[in-house]
This record gives sequence, structure tokens and C-alpha cells, in this order.
Amino acid sequence: MRSESVCLLNEGVQVRSERFGLLFYDYRGPRLYFLPTKDLIKDHFFNGKHTVSNLIEYICAKHREWPCLMVKKWLNHALDMLEGKGLIYEQSVC
Amino acid sequence: MSNQYVEMGLMAPVNVTWEVTYACNLSCIHCVSDSGRKKPGELTTEQCLQVIDTMSAMKVFQFNIGGGEPFMREDFPDLMDYSHEKGIVTCISTNGTLIDDEVAGRLAHKLVYMQVSLDGATPASNDAIRGKGSFRKALNALEFLSKRDIEVSVNTVLTKLSFPELDALVDLAASFGAKLRISRFRPSGRGKKNWSQLNVSREQMLSFSDWLSRHMVVSTGDSFFSVSHEDRRSLGLNMCGASKLTCCVSPLGEVYPCAFLQEREFLAGKLPEESFAEIWENSPIFHSFRDLEIKSCESCVRFDFCHGGCPAIAYHTQRRLGLPDPECLANCVSVKSLAAVGA
Ligand SMILES: C[S@@+](CC[C@H](N)C(=O)[O-])C[C@H]1O[C@@H](n2cnc3c(N)ncnc32)[C@H](O)[C@@H]1O
Ligand code: SF4
Ligand code: SF4
Repeated sequence: MRSESVCLLNEGVQVRSERFGLLFYDYRGPRLYFLPTKDLIKDHFFNGKHTVSNLIEYICAKHREWPCLMVKKWLNHALDMLEGKGLIYEQSVC
Repeated sequence: MSNQYVEMGLMAPVNVTWEVTYACNLSCIHCVSDSGRKKPGELTTEQCLQVIDTMSAMKVFQFNIGGGEPFMREDFPDLMDYSHEKGIVTCISTNGTLIDDEVAGRLAHKLVYMQVSLDGATPASNDAIRGKGSFRKALNALEFLSKRDIEVSVNTVLTKLSFPELDALVDLAASFGAKLRISRFRPSGRGKKNWSQLNVSREQMLSFSDWLSRHMVVSTGDSFFSVSHEDRRSLGLNMCGASKLTCCVSPLGEVYPCAFLQEREFLAGKLPEESFAEIWENSPIFHSFRDLEIKSCESCVRFDFCHGGCPAIAYHTQRRLGLPDPECLANCVSVKSLAAVGA
């Protein structure tokens, strides 16, 4: 996932924030997917208004105790997994 | 299906079973909702729109629409349009009798799933349950729907009559490009009165369990996990979702943990007077279902797979919650507790 990209939901996929993190619903199954991110990623991240790097900055600012490189790796891994499961896709903004 | 996060408590249901009316033009002898006539106090169009707004605000993903026959409501297509506008997926169960080419055209939407009910692969078996002529009309509906871009399945309740025709039902559904979905027969509504006549025998239930393993494309949707073999584990939920993932809204706006538990003692609240968010978060009834433990099942080798089975079947057969589902593989279907339903 490139930093200057936004992440959008694939057709038929919905997401909502839950206490444990994000709950995805894919109506083509229908099936559910649970992503335990607590409040690090909010459901509105997938409406395409914020880039991956915006999110990294936000998390790093909120958790100064965490090395930014680690946050970046973790986030990329989580987003790649969602993309691999067909839930989201990446769109470049530049 | 990961249960750990569900056990933590979701902030809203994933899907809500919404029975939109008690009115029905058929009089099926197994009808779980004892449907026929519209009842006084059914939600008005305005109130239904409010329900949709509420569910949409809470980000409920899906409505499972039932009744009665949903198409008996004149405003039904408008209610579905409004749900789709709000992004809610609708899975509509119908007897098919009121679906013609025009209705099918109106329904076509990417967020719609249709389930046409057929309780046998022949007019003889189906109409013995659903009434004369209902087989032909359901097939007409399947024909109209299959010509549109609508996902369709055939829903069959497992009974003594449908059991011998399962293979034929798979083929019949496939001939309309549909999949077969099988529901578990519940001893409530008119189903209670006709339970002993219609419910499958112990041997049939065991043989059905094997049949399911050989037919991975057949879906069960609900609560057959107590009789499903391990190989179907990946296909769906292996725990009761009542009050955790789902709940039910009756035609009168009453909120229950599940469509099969619409008893006074399980009434959690009423819409639109009460707040649905409040009911979901704080109803003592819902909490009791979230905390429900089937203690006597915990030492069973299959516990992780079925968690004690369907509380609704256990309740209707034994009039108490917290007891094991009497139709389970480990118990090889206890004949005694099933016979106890009487009726
Ligand atoms: C109550 S009906 C309402 C919708 C519509 N009138 C229909 O028949 O599809 C919903 C589904 O429940 C099934 N059903 C009826 N009685 C049942 C029972 N006692 N146990 C389980 N399912 C039942 C029906 O066959 C149908 O597929
Ligand atoms: S099962 Fe459906 S079609 Fe049959 S009586 Fe009940 S509501 Fe009507
Ligand atoms: S009570 Fe039975 S039918 Fe209802 S959600 Fe639980 S397992 Fe499913």
C-alpha cells in the first residue's frame, strides 16, 4: 500500500467501528471480517478523504511512544490483508 | 467465524430479522409465525421508515425480511427502496405468489437477495404443507426472478415431506440458477401443532447431517450447527447469534432476541416508542442471552463446534432456557425430549 493512496471499500463491502476495531461485512458471501485495531483506524478512513500517510501521522501523533516505522509496517500489513481479502482497494491520489 | 469479538459485544446487530406483517395469503401448516390476518397495531409506513432510519444510523448491515407474506404490504417495495438507499442489504423471504414480471423488475437491485420458499420438489409434498397451487406459483416466481439480475435461493424447511426430496430440490433450484438453503423446523406457531406429524425422525436427522456434508453448496443459514459435521465448520457461524449478531423486530415493532423466540418472556422492547440502541445495549433480556451458558454441554467433545446448539429449539421442546439442543449429533437426537413437545 503506497503512502499517498487512499483506501476504498470494494463493491458490496461495508465497514463499521466496533469496540475491538473494525467489522467488515461483505454482502457477496455474505461474510464478516473482524480487524482488531481498537480505535486506531476509524470506519470513515475508508471514505477516501484521508491518505495512508495521513493515518500514519495521526496514529504516530496519538501514540508518541510508538516508533513511526513500526506503525507504518503494522498499518501496511493490516491494509494489505484487507486488500488480499477483497475488502478494499487502493487508489492513488497523485 | 471468529467468536471472540462477538463475545465482547457488538455495538449493533449485523442483521435484523424484520417481520413486516402477519398478513398472508397462504395458510401453511408449519407456519412459525401463525400468519394469516393482518393484526391491529402493525407498524405504519411512517413507523417503518423510522425503523429503517434507526437501523441505518446504527450501521446494521442487513435485513432478513419475513412475515407473514411481505408482499401483502402495499408499501413493501417502497420500504425496500428506502432500505437500499440507506445501503442496507435486504434478504426477502417470500412464498412467491405475488411476484410477477413487474414486481421482479421493481425488485432488481444489487442489494437484494430473494428467498422463495418451497417445501418439497413436487406439488404433492409442497402443497401438502403450503396449500394447493402454491408449488406452481412459487415456480412462476422463480421464473420471473431468474430473468432479472437478482440473487435468488430456494428455502426449504426440513420436514418428513421434504427430506426424501432434498436431491431433487437441489436440482430444481439449480434449474432456476438458484441455490438451495435449508431451514430447521421449529416447533412454534402452527409448527408446534404439527410438529410430531412433520418433524424428521432421529434416523432422518442423522442421515441429513451426512447429506449436508456431501452437499457443501447447500446453505443452512441458521442453527443446523448442532448437527453439522466438522467439515462444514468454515461455512458459517457455530454459535447462536441471538442478541449478539442478530435480533428480531415483529410486525408490531416488538423486539426479540431471535425470530424463533417471539414469546412474551423474551420481549426486550418496542419500536418506535423505545430506542433501539438502548434496547440493544441495555435490555436485561438481551444480556441474559449474551450470558447464556449451556453448562451440561461444556464437557462434550463437540462443544467448541456447537456451543449447545439452538436455544430456541431447546426452549420450545423443554420450556426452559439453558438446556441443550435436543437434536444434536453428540446425543444422536434424543427421542425423549423431542417427543415431549406434544402439541
Ligand atoms: C414465516 S415465512 C415468512 C415469509 C414468506 N411468507 C415465506 O413463506 O417465505 C419465512 C420462512 O420460514 C419458514 N418457516 C415456516 N414455518 C417454519 C417453522 N415452523 N420452522 C422453521 N421455518 C419455518 C418458511 O417456510 C419460510 O421459508
Ligand atoms: S410460511 Fe410464509 S407463506 Fe406460509 S403461512 Fe407462514 S407466512 Fe404465509
Ligand atoms: S435461537 Fe436458534 S435460531 Fe435463533 S439465533 Fe440462536 S441458534 Fe439461531
